[in-house]
Amino acid sequence: MSELSAAALSYLIAFADDEHMIGARHTSWIGMGPFLEEDLAFCSIAQDELGHAIALYELVVDSFGSSSELVTPIDHFALLRPAADYRSCSLAEAACDDWQDALVRHWLYDRAEELRWAALADSSNPALAAIALRSEREEVFHRAHAESFMSRIASSGNASSIALITDSIQRLLPLGDGLWDPPDAEADAIAEGFVTESSASMASKWKQDIAQDIQKWNLPVGLEIQIYLNEAAPSASSFGDRLQRSEGFDQFLTSLQAVISLDPEAEW
Amino acid sequence: MRAWTDLDDFQTFIDEGGIVEPNDDMPDEFRQEVFRFVEFHANSELMGGLTERDWIPKAPGLRLKQIFLAKTQDEIGHAHLLYMVAADMGVKSRNQMIEELFSGKSRFHNVFHYQAVTWADQVAIAFLVDAAAFASQRAVFAECTYGPYKRVLKRIVAEEGFHLRHGEDMLMTLAEGSKLQHSMFQDALERWWWPAVQLFGPDSDPNDPLLKWKIKSERNETLRTAYIQKFVPLLQGYGFEIPDDELRYDDEAKKWVTSEIDWEPLKATMSNGGPDSRRRIADAATNWADTAWVRDALDAATINREAA
Repeated sequence: MSELSAAALSYLIAFADDEHMIGARHTSWIGMGPFLEEDLAFCSIAQDELGHAIALYELVVDSFGSSSELVTPIDHFALLRPAADYRSCSLAEAACDDWQDALVRHWLYDRAEELRWAALADSSNPALAAIALRSEREEVFHRAHAESFMSRIASSGNASSIALITDSIQRLLPLGDGLWDPPDAEADAIAEGFVTESSASMASKWKQDIAQDIQKWNLPVGLEIQIYLNEAAPSASSFGDRLQRSEGFDQFLTSLQAVISLDPEAEW
Repeated sequence: MRAWTDLDDFQTFIDEGGIVEPNDDMPDEFRQEVFRFVEFHANSELMGGLTERDWIPKAPGLRLKQIFLAKTQDEIGHAHLLYMVAADMGVKSRNQMIEELFSGKSRFHNVFHYQAVTWADQVAIAFLVDAAAFASQRAVFAECTYGPYKRVLKRIVAEEGFHLRHGEDMLMTLAEGSKLQHSMFQDALERWWWPAVQLFGPDSDPNDPLLKWKIKSERNETLRTAYIQKFVPLLQGYGFEIPDDELRYDDEAKKWVTSEIDWEPLKATMSNGGPDSRRRIADAATNWADTAWVRDALDAATINREAA
């Protein structure tokens, strides 16, 4: 159990909330994939993302415990905060009710995760560094999964299928900016070695990775997307993304709380 | 490839402990019966997974959500294996089986025609329903004269054993939890007790070919009675009331005896007319249609790659 700085806590909560929301959103696809093998794969990915959220929330809750003697069960922290206290980004919160959106979001998000875990692999917090190394080993498979689907659909020659994923990219890529909205006091977290790279720096690398993928797959994205990807810095619209909840979040959170809120004191 | 001169010759092979393999020239009657049984099992695993999906997003904890995801993943994995066993029998392709299931032409277990109304129903499925299915599957695995099915059942039975232990943990949590939790499970028990008992089916036909060919090792009524003997005292021990006014313990026979079982609900589910059949099948069919473009694109990509 170790007490973390406010900057470190803020950084952890943002990442944990992202992992929680992406895992929860992926969960809604169980049994609804395009074929059975894909159901099995996507279900594994959802479990991994939830596992990452648990590991990060544990660090947060342990820190609360050491400072205030208040033992907060992880599930209370993960599920029972008011909507305004979550720090997840819009891309993680998005519903993605169509499979093409779920796939494109999975690719965009997991491309970012590679950079985010790398920035924690040498963290001054050894427990976090260990989580980062373990998580990145899992993420290799997630990226291979996303890459496999995106490249195969892109190479299908099937114009309507390519149009579906291209349209998803056009809509979801701008939301990806919110991934790089820096958590409160990120500079302090960097200064104490908790994280080794800034969100702005990662945003730039992420855009390059995404641009290279799109080029490799020869996907016909619009000019505005190409211009966006060529801009090194996150656009101004990303700032504050983590402070505001996206449309439909309240309803989603209510649904996540449907059982635990029946009796929050009970063990489920 | 082995071949048999007639059904009597084949029966002698079965009676002497023989196991049939896919490349054998098995009697067509055996092929059709085993295929029908494995297809029904595969459909049930898949629809079972869909029955549980309603409450997984609402699981009251992140680890619980992971566990239920893993469990449903197992069920869909079982369906995947079973569809391959069935498809290898050369009667229908996997896609044909899935499309017939989603068009409402095929059957699946009665319990998966009901809706999980609360989280406690999820627990009732994980415990009562899985225990009934586990007992049936274990009894098939015990002999099972079709080799590929027996090998897949070995894995399924092992995984279902884990599910059952988890289901019992979940039941204990609600049983020993708050008043609300106890009462939630009592309500769920009232919805799921009879479907779970009915899962075993009416008494076996004396001429059931699956018994004769040792695909099944136990008669339906034997398995059903054993289930009732185990679960009545267990549930009562946790303070729950079995929803059967005529339930009694026969001191002479030393066994629990239920009221006469109404088989009409089971019959309704077998024609896809259960309480939640329509929604369950329609959701799966809509999703299958909505994601057809992915399957088509991947097929096209494979053709392009092979042509290159």
